[in-house]
Amino acid sequence: MRIIKLNNQIKKRFIFLLIIFACFSASIFLISYSLKDQIAYFVEPTDLKSMDGIENKYLRVGGLVKTNSLKFLDGNWVFEVVDQNQNSVNVVFSKALPNLVEENKGIIVEGKFIDNIFVAEIVLAKHDENYMPQSAIDKLKEEGKWRGN
Amino acid sequence: MFAITPNILASFMNSLSRYVILLSLILISVSIFLIIFLENDYYQGISFKIMFIHVPTAWLSLAIFLIMGISSIVGLIFKSPTAFTVARSLSPIGLIMSIIVLVTGSIWGNLTWGAYWVWDARLTSMLILAFIYLGHILLLYSFEHFQKADFAASVLAIIGLVNLPIVKFSVDWWTTLHQESSVLRIGGPSMTYDYLITLLVSFFGIFMLTIFWFSNIFYIIVEKRKIERSKLLND
Repeated sequence: MRIIKLNNQIKKRFIFLLIIFACFSASIFLISYSLKDQIAYFVEPTDLKSMDGIENKYLRVGGLVKTNSLKFLDGNWVFEVVDQNQNSVNVVFSKALPNLVEENKGIIVEGKFIDNIFVAEIVLAKHDENYMPQSAIDKLKEEGKWRGN
Repeated sequence: MFAITPNILASFMNSLSRYVILLSLILISVSIFLIIFLENDYYQGISFKIMFIHVPTAWLSLAIFLIMGISSIVGLIFKSPTAFTVARSLSPIGLIMSIIVLVTGSIWGNLTWGAYWVWDARLTSMLILAFIYLGHILLLYSFEHFQKADFAASVLAIIGLVNLPIVKFSVDWWTTLHQESSVLRIGGPSMTYDYLITLLVSFFGIFMLTIFWFSNIFYIIVEKRKIERSKLLND
């Protein structure tokens, strides 16, 4: 008799916890789904095409530094941020770049569009999840399997 | 959970702890040796080596919370003191782990990204995880009777479980400054085997250290309760 009673209690507690957990996770899911655009840390140059009123709006744009576009002109860094769809944004930056900013590597620029040129106030280097020693790259290059710069 | 009382678990772990700490010290020294002699990353240079502390502690801070949440569920449903005591002894370890993750991460971030801290989804959800650990500890010590404290803290741990997939998958769901997962990902690890082995050795070393630490905290809690109970009986 006692065992049956205990089982009922356990079942009740289990269902109660399940309901609480389901409600809470559903609410978190709904919140994060509706805030999707705010949670995203940056937009890609392709996303900018479909956005309205980007002039003078504070934005973060991320992508790769386009090959052969990184130049130092009149005390400013000038480069293009390009994404997978080959859409690009021209960027001007007047401070020192982070060490890891290189051509064909990830970058995030923070600032505003002024006359179709992105004037960056903050530049962050974004490295990817691949880790490799130089010797492994040399080996891959010898075998002709290296697909980087 | 039913037959395993806190006393039995404490004495079992106590008998194993000397082997666990020995194994942990061996693995950690091997991993330090490996880390020192490992070749630098082609892009990040030497700064990527902080990964061998950052990643294991990040995995552990998530895993510890998962175990804490599960044992809180078991504790609440079956009213099991062992499960509650497991959750109680895990949260300080989890807090320390998540603080290590945040500190090493911000050092690494400053060296590579050029910023100590940004408010992207991964970093923010990790900070929330650390705050939940802190809240769990504060709840545990803000009640006079430990049964009440266990109940309140378990509810927090179960609610906090929702944050775990957010921390893990934040880099896939939203654009973040933080890079994506390198090891636990679809398509296999994205690092060479010498790095991966070093990472795993370092992980198991820190993991064993965590088990040792956990068994010590668990043992202390159980012994303290024994003393308190005998005091009550003597009064």
